[in-house]
Amino acid sequence: MLEARMSEAGTLKKVLDAVRDLISDANWECNEDGISLQAMDNSHVALVTVHLSQDAFEPYRCDRNMPLGINLGSLTKVIKCAKDNDLVTLKADDSGESLGLTFESSNTDRIGEYSIKLLDIDQEHLGIPVTQYDSVISMPSSEFQRICRDLSQLGESIRIDASKEGIRFSVEGDVGKASVLLKQSSGASIEREEESEEEEEEEEDEDEDVKPNVDEDEEGDVKPKDKKRKSSKGGNKTKKVKKAKKDVVEDGVSISLQQQVSLTFSLKYLNNFTRSTPLSNRVTLSLSKDIPLLLEYEFAAGHIKYFLAPKIGDEDAE
Amino acid sequence: MFLPKQQQKALAEDKVSDKKSAVKNDNAIDKKTTNKKSLPSTDQDTITFAQLTDTFTKIEATTKRLEITDYLTQFYKQVILTKPEELLMTLYLTINRLCPDYEGLELGIGESILIKAVVESTGRTTAKVKEELKKVGDLGTVAQSARKNQPTMFKSKDLNVPTVFKNLKEIATASGSQSQTKKIGIIMKMLTSCNSNTNEVKFLIRLLEGKLRIGLAEKTVVVSLANAIVLSNNEDATKEDLERGVEIVKQVYSELPSYDLIIPALLDGGVDNLQERCHLTPGIPLKPMLAKPTKAVTEVLDRFEGRSFTCEYKYDGERAQIHYHDGKVKVFSRNSEDMSMKYPDLVEQLPRAIKPGVKNFVIDSEAVAFDKQTKKILPFQELTRRKRKDVKVEDITVKVHIFAFDLLYFNDKPLLHEDLTRRREMLSDNFETVEDEFAMAKSMEAQSTEEIQAFLEESVKDSCEGLMVKMNQGESAWYTPSKRSMNWLKLKKDYLSGVGDSLDLVVIGGYYGKGKRTNVYGAYLLACYDQDSESYQSICKIGTGFSEEMLDSHYKLLNPLEITAPKSYYKLGSAKPDVYFEPQAVWEVLTADLSLSPVYTAAAGEISERGISLRFPRFIRVRDDKAADDATSSEQVSQNIYI
Repeated sequence: MLEARMSEAGTLKKVLDAVRDLISDANWECNEDGISLQAMDNSHVALVTVHLSQDAFEPYRCDRNMPLGINLGSLTKVIKCAKDNDLVTLKADDSGESLGLTFESSNTDRIGEYSIKLLDIDQEHLGIPVTQYDSVISMPSSEFQRICRDLSQLGESIRIDASKEGIRFSVEGDVGKASVLLKQSSGASIEREEESEEEEEEEEDEDEDVKPNVDEDEEGDVKPKDKKRKSSKGGNKTKKVKKAKKDVVEDGVSISLQQQVSLTFSLKYLNNFTRSTPLSNRVTLSLSKDIPLLLEYEFAAGHIKYFLAPKIGDEDAE
Repeated sequence: MFLPKQQQKALAEDKVSDKKSAVKNDNAIDKKTTNKKSLPSTDQDTITFAQLTDTFTKIEATTKRLEITDYLTQFYKQVILTKPEELLMTLYLTINRLCPDYEGLELGIGESILIKAVVESTGRTTAKVKEELKKVGDLGTVAQSARKNQPTMFKSKDLNVPTVFKNLKEIATASGSQSQTKKIGIIMKMLTSCNSNTNEVKFLIRLLEGKLRIGLAEKTVVVSLANAIVLSNNEDATKEDLERGVEIVKQVYSELPSYDLIIPALLDGGVDNLQERCHLTPGIPLKPMLAKPTKAVTEVLDRFEGRSFTCEYKYDGERAQIHYHDGKVKVFSRNSEDMSMKYPDLVEQLPRAIKPGVKNFVIDSEAVAFDKQTKKILPFQELTRRKRKDVKVEDITVKVHIFAFDLLYFNDKPLLHEDLTRRREMLSDNFETVEDEFAMAKSMEAQSTEEIQAFLEESVKDSCEGLMVKMNQGESAWYTPSKRSMNWLKLKKDYLSGVGDSLDLVVIGGYYGKGKRTNVYGAYLLACYDQDSESYQSICKIGTGFSEEMLDSHYKLLNPLEITAPKSYYKLGSAKPDVYFEPQAVWEVLTADLSLSPVYTAAAGEISERGISLRFPRFIRVRDDKAADDATSSEQVSQNIYI
């Protein structure tokens, strides 16, 4: 059986808002680590995973792994009945017939009890390979939301180029084109590292010793042909960058770059993903050539990850 | 993209073998080709949708009939040898149908639903998809490129023929409040399973639209089916064996147009036993025999001189094939649609005409609108004005009168190969005239031009279209289903005044009206249908013969059919209408004569490089009993031109 109590219903509301336009029915998997969900949207172009850690609940009790098949539309309707600061308790017994929700007002004079019928959803669990991304960008989630919203006025696909210059979002449409460049925030530096275990892309590795603030000026000067020099040092730097990222000021942009990347995505999906913006101030984009984009929102209670298959241009379609 | 775990493994193995191949080059190439090309047929679970669409792609790429027949024969043969139980579904998918015509199950998916499904499964915007559709004219192609540009996260399991067929059937039968959502759901699921490296998406969308348009005529399908059956039983079949097989299957199919029954029989007993197992059966409509138009009474005598023939009234009504078995009456239209719902009164009144001792039968007849008070035949339009569905007997104002003219099956015995005289005898012996309800078509045995002429004039006086002239005896007096035979000639009153034959043409385009005709279409572009290329060929622009009310009602009917770009299967020539329509409306049009035209494309290449056009076309009436592909064919057009 499952019993989990969360102090703020608002978080659940936001989580549901973030996924309900993408998927209609899904299994929430409950186990001792917490509650999580993985589902593809019905076009199979995007995949979303949600994880609510057991730390977010007090108390949290889950005796055995159980899937809760839920229609997200119905769940949203029920959650809307709670106030943002209500205490929520989720309960499900082993019969798997329904999920009970209790909303307690913080001043405790009102208790609402709801229950939703569970569905039997046949869902394949998909293994997501752990990927070393060519480029990882962290930026304010509201900034990313704004870019997606603005650029979708002009076209349906957005190109994301991550280079040492910064990260450029561009779109081309019938009425015109647009591009937004976000530079690395001062204080943090663009880091390009070499992979410690190189595979096929040796030629493309770049020189890593570029001074932070001069970058933008000498854009084309660093040719991919330059041979790498100190791979061991690169390994150390990765750690440093990761530490640095955590200290990054809330509204800054940080870029960790191993290789230039340029990918195109459908804005429709990205706009959909930015519904997670209220959950977190920061968003992380991880990009690699020919691999789905990973968009990550972390928040106190857990995280939401979106994966999106890149678009393939007509020229290299065949 | 990501791959589900097992597939990932497979891919990894693939990579490994690729690496090996780098070392041992020659070997690896061999391995690769065997891997990729047609899977070893024996351990294949099912016919994949990709195999079907590959065949479609090959067929679409050529216009040569023999090549098409060959591709299709090979494919059917492969199906027969590997998965015979999937032959029926495969065949239905190649002809883009779900069941025999008479069961009337249709997909009924609007373009807007399909666009929605394409938009949702590829992340494109509706506006963009529509814009591209305008440019390309084929949603299948648009969807294909959208899929190519936006791959899915994981590769799904390959679509296969049984799944696609089952899904299409499910879509066709879905009804009720949630049916729209359900339909889109099924379509989306199939779209996401399509492999973007094949043409699966393109043909799936076209199948859903009900327009495969790969230049595959149904007669080619029948020929290929027969060939495949013969070859799968005997690899070394001679040309004669093949031809004989085709003849048998063709003939049986014309009597019993139901693959549901023919295919199991073919798989079981080959072509040799087909005729024994499958023959005309009451309850299953066959394609009616058709008549050749003639221009003058003298032409009739040229053809029938010295032979025994019968002249019959050609009533101005709707062809009705009446089936009776196990005490039940069913009425089918010339398109084999079940019309029993449209004519409940007919179903009710017919048993009164049956004499005792009759167990079952199939009658060919004409259903005519009839005024009980005046005892007069009403114009055909009175019948078409009746509702098509759920007609209640007590609501009926216009009576239906049956004029029977042929008996095709009687008391467990097919009569197709009996003489006409014998069939007519049996008809009059076993059925009786019921006043205002049922009668034999009026006929006479004529010999001279004068007699025929007099009878023709009489028929016109009796509100008929003209005469049918039929051979009485011998093999040429057999009933040959679906054939437009020289053994039946029709002689219409119109021909006599020198105006020529009428044609049933499809409205494919419209021209904006001016002056009085502002706000309606001022003129229309018409087309005939070319069965071989499955295309509509423009034939004339028509602007005369319309009253103001007609223009209004045509506008109302045609406006919803407006499409932004001509269909890829419209052969327009240099005609440039302002708007185009879905090929749906069929009009009967009268013409003074046919002439060669530099503008239109009808029957181009058959008589001359130029197409054929109508001189002084004039609108007669709407033929809503005819579907667009039953329109006058380009073959008929070319046969009627005299240069």
